[in-house]
Amino acid sequence: MFRPRFLSAAGALLLTASLALTACGSDGSGDEGADAKTLTLWHYEGPNSAMGVAWNKAIDLFKASHPGVEVKFEEKSFEQIQQNAGMILNSDSAPDILEYNKGNATAGLLSKQGLLTDLTEEATSRGWDKKLSASLQTTAKYDEDGIMGSGKFYGVPNYGEYVMVYYNKDLFKKYNIAVPTTYAEFTAAMDTFVKNKVTPLSVGGAEYPAQQIFYELALSKGDRAFVDDYQLYKNKVDFHGPQLTYGAQTFADWVNKGYIAKNSAGIKAEDMGVAFEQGKFPILYSGSWWYGRFNDEIKNFDWGTFLFPGNTLHPGSSGNLWVVPEKSKAKKLAYDFIDITMQPEVQNLLGNNGGVPVAADPAAITDPKNKELIDNFNKVSAADGLAFYPDWPAPGYYDVMVSGVQGLINGSKTPAAFLDEVAKPYNENLADLGK
Amino acid sequence: MSVLSDVKTAGPALDPVVSKAKKHRRPGRWVVLAVLLALLLLVVAPMLVIMVNAFKTPSDYASNGPLALPESISFQGIIDFWNRIDFSRKLLNSLVTSLSVAVLGVLLSVLNAYALGIGRVRGRIWFLVFFLVANLLPQEVLVYPLYYISKELHLYDSPISVIIIFTVIQSAFGTYLLTSVYEEFPRELLDAAEVDGAGRWRTLWRVVVPVSRPTLAVLFTFFFIWTWNEFFLPLIFLVSNENQTVPVALGVLQGDRLMDATATSASALVGILPALLFFLIFQRTLTRGITAGAIK
Repeated sequence: MFRPRFLSAAGALLLTASLALTACGSDGSGDEGADAKTLTLWHYEGPNSAMGVAWNKAIDLFKASHPGVEVKFEEKSFEQIQQNAGMILNSDSAPDILEYNKGNATAGLLSKQGLLTDLTEEATSRGWDKKLSASLQTTAKYDEDGIMGSGKFYGVPNYGEYVMVYYNKDLFKKYNIAVPTTYAEFTAAMDTFVKNKVTPLSVGGAEYPAQQIFYELALSKGDRAFVDDYQLYKNKVDFHGPQLTYGAQTFADWVNKGYIAKNSAGIKAEDMGVAFEQGKFPILYSGSWWYGRFNDEIKNFDWGTFLFPGNTLHPGSSGNLWVVPEKSKAKKLAYDFIDITMQPEVQNLLGNNGGVPVAADPAAITDPKNKELIDNFNKVSAADGLAFYPDWPAPGYYDVMVSGVQGLINGSKTPAAFLDEVAKPYNENLADLGK
Repeated sequence: MSVLSDVKTAGPALDPVVSKAKKHRRPGRWVVLAVLLALLLLVVAPMLVIMVNAFKTPSDYASNGPLALPESISFQGIIDFWNRIDFSRKLLNSLVTSLSVAVLGVLLSVLNAYALGIGRVRGRIWFLVFFLVANLLPQEVLVYPLYYISKELHLYDSPISVIIIFTVIQSAFGTYLLTSVYEEFPRELLDAAEVDGAGRWRTLWRVVVPVSRPTLAVLFTFFFIWTWNEFFLPLIFLVSNENQTVPVALGVLQGDRLMDATATSASALVGILPALLFFLIFQRTLTRGITAGAIK
């Protein structure tokens, strides 16, 4: 199942090289395919996930409003789209609309190569831009260099995601701990667990979760300008500045105080989640993508969520995007479909199934737990608090971050050494971009 | 598996007198057996974990972890998976692709090797070097040229492209191997055929192929299994779901950030069964060794 990383890296390299050669040849199709009779649609969400359920509904609604149009839906694998999107979209086998990953290396790259349709006109005339908050639009817009944050709309997100604190209510009750509302209360709660010989945080140090803790801690000292500098390269980031130094230092302190177990450097995200589901840890800090699963699978205890106390900025972003390939033969139908997915009916369904809709009516969300999830997201989104993810700014940065934070967990690296290590590829990427 | 069958066949063959005489060696034998069993367990352990998890419900997995035995046997994961990706279709695709590649690959290898090994074409060393290099080339290097060519020929997103590509890749190895086998081919047989008035074509089909049949059978089996397990190139060339092969389809369950452990186990179990079955059926051919043949 798990292919060695260099394979995908090599594949990605080839893709980039190859696409640069051929992407120039996309001829603008004059008519928008208004009279097309089929809509080929791809996505890679499981049929039971919130997105899968909502999008199935959207397909039904689309069929009802477009009699005589056949919808050819194919469930794809994430890996197939991730590895081959460029090649597929540059061939005649391109679908008319598909779900695609947001970010500079994915949607940004394809938009730069001319493989995606500019959706700006549709977004304004159909009002999608009104429904998406500023931080959600960041990942939907790409400039001519394929860098997110400004320029034209190349995709439309239906859902959001953010990172929060999941907690085991039973264990909190057992040690008489109230839900913390400030950072001081949060650390006090974790101290209580440590005193009782319980490791508070379930952390997957071998994958994305640990770096998100580091980033969240750094964000507690940062503001939107810091995020813009770090993610959108507006100004040069000082890796030994107050934000990142605080993040690294506090992360190391958390390990020393026993909030994070030393052996978690080797734990995968999946095992981190399962350990929390088994009630072995009282707290899990991770993203809303776990929500639906916890809802289905945790039967032995009561659980809840809260936002990381004291922060206005949190890791998070829009979800994946609906994009329309330049070679789509039914662009008009694709726009209609996107419009349906933004309607309250579909958005509310997404919310009621444990997803985080971008344009739902909060009153229509019936389940109190889901409501809490969505209310928290709306709080973050309204405060312009989505700060994206720490591994976004440079290609291949994910692995750099993972191994760096692992060093902090094992204690094999000092915070300063860690910051030097992660600064290097970041600055090299900046130089490549000519900034 | 071969360990087990070896032990079984060795058992009754032991002469009672000999075994009595060797009785004092027993402790040593037990140690060997224990070590073998431990090794076997190590090899089989991942499969066992898959087996155990394939039959669990997701919430059972969540509350008891991956190593616990299932609370109750649930076939739901396997059934869901089968229907979700239309597994019957994928099995058929894989079967057609692998079988075509195995047949065509062996055919091509025989023709090449006949020319190079028995025909002794001028400069054949360089041909062999070429085939060896082609064989060592990582598939990632081939991706773009192949993509471009198949697009030009309108074979992109068609199983035919995969069949052609793997026929060539596999027969590169087959040619290399078979040529060295044919170089050792007994001249007496070829001379006899010539004396009897057989032409080159007839010699190939009536003498060379029948004599080397065991080797060809091994090649056939290898080609089939290798092609069956191929992931990278099929992932790229088989875009539509209706053309996909089994390993590509298994990827559907691997999400961006989440994995569904029970469904993944179920898919892994269903996914390896055909290859395992094929291996069991052809196990005897495989163990006969790759360079068998020639004069008895």
